[in-house]
Amino acid sequence: MANAWKIARKSNAQLPLVIVIALAVVLVLLGKAQIGLFDGARAHATDLMAPMLEKMRAPVAGFDRWIGSIGEIFSVYEQNLKLKEENARLRQWRNVAITLQGRVNRYQALLHAVPDPQMNRVLARVIGRASRPFLQTMILDAGRGHKVLPGQAVMDARGMIGRIYLTGQRTSWVILLTDLNSRIPVTIAPRNVQAMMTGDNSATPVLNLMSHTVTLHAGEQVTSSGDGGLLPAGLPLGTVVSDGAGGWRVSLLADAAASQDVEILNFSKPPEAPPPTAQLPAEAAGLKPQAPPPPQTAAAAPTPVVAPSKPKPAAPAAPAAPASDEDEDR
Amino acid sequence: MASLERTTVPPRFRYLIATIPALCGLLGAFIANIPISVMGGLVPAPLLALVPVYFWCLVRPDLMTPAVALMIGMAEDVLSGGPPGIWTLAFVLTYALVARQRDSFAGLASFAAVLGFATAAAFACAVAYFSVAGLAFLTPGASLPPVPPILGELAMTVLFYPPGTLAVGWLHHKLVGASRGDV
Repeated sequence: MANAWKIARKSNAQLPLVIVIALAVVLVLLGKAQIGLFDGARAHATDLMAPMLEKMRAPVAGFDRWIGSIGEIFSVYEQNLKLKEENARLRQWRNVAITLQGRVNRYQALLHAVPDPQMNRVLARVIGRASRPFLQTMILDAGRGHKVLPGQAVMDARGMIGRIYLTGQRTSWVILLTDLNSRIPVTIAPRNVQAMMTGDNSATPVLNLMSHTVTLHAGEQVTSSGDGGLLPAGLPLGTVVSDGAGGWRVSLLADAAASQDVEILNFSKPPEAPPPTAQLPAEAAGLKPQAPPPPQTAAAAPTPVVAPSKPKPAAPAAPAAPASDEDEDR
Repeated sequence: MASLERTTVPPRFRYLIATIPALCGLLGAFIANIPISVMGGLVPAPLLALVPVYFWCLVRPDLMTPAVALMIGMAEDVLSGGPPGIWTLAFVLTYALVARQRDSFAGLASFAAVLGFATAAAFACAVAYFSVAGLAFLTPGASLPPVPPILGELAMTVLFYPPGTLAVGWLHHKLVGASRGDV
């Protein structure tokens, strides 16, 4: 083969090479200025590949599971015992969580708390995964046709996996929390420490604290803070772990490598509406509700000003009493 | 060396055969970037598209031109999903290196040939890494990309070079080489 290569002709295209190198440099700079330069082509290519990926999904997932289970064969019995014990503990915690959720709902009603934003969920299937040096992503079988939009959070049963960053008509790409380009504002419970969780292509993203005076403890819970309004607050992310060098990282709850079905959260903050009269704290305490304000018309405007000083307006108060009874009955 | 002799390839097929190096590069980019992980994401995909670029840059630079290398690099960029232009620049600069040192690379055989390709692949990965690092340096708050993933990609690329070069070598001897000088 060496002889065959020796007789190869020399290229006489030196000038195009210089031009092509210049073009490549321009492309890199254009990509820096406009990060979504190839997004349309990527989304189109993924849409085209989607049927093939869906067909290959089952055998590849089976092979993947088989490879992953080789090392676990010898510890099945111990794992089974451990899982049973963990399951029993989790059932206890589930009951506690249900009780506490009910209490939180009652407190929210009493305190006129702003209700949590409504979230639509789209269930999607993972049809592809890619782990490249500069990108860790997964591909879902839901796209713009299913009202999936860039920025939406992707969750599995345990916690958040990542965010949608590119959508085709039938597919979408997820940027994982571990990816180099992922940055999520987070809150660390129980002291509500604010931090930024930054991916670095390792399994445990880095925590960059907003304040340098706070100290963290391993095992504290990390959730999304909702800052910026892009993600809902309170999405479970993981627990704090030490990196051994004085810094802190997050051990993620979700396992992006094993997730097969995920939820895409369509989060949008609803405008704050005035609550119905029956939910006001005064009524909840058994007090008489205020009479509703009269309509704002030019002719009737002076009337409410003088109404309290006259004894006659007691008559309109009569119909208000049954109304309050009705409210209390409700 | 019968394959290097002028043969009577029908004229209508000559231009079709001339596209084989480019098609092989595009096919390599496509196969390597099928988003399927068979090892739980532990093993990165190799740069399969670099094998035909390297091979035909040495053997038939008239067919593997800088423009073709640019096109294959762009395909790798589109399909891999990384920052735009990174692999385009890496492929074109690697092409320039191999074209400049063609005599040195072409004289290598057996294990030394693998080492020669490993050098070219290491250069491509280094260009890609430092390009991304440069972009990260220009972006406030961005961190440098970790080194182990790109080393893993390099190792997988070198590992896939022997079977890859066997495949493109077979195509070259059966189709491309036979039309040497005719195109």
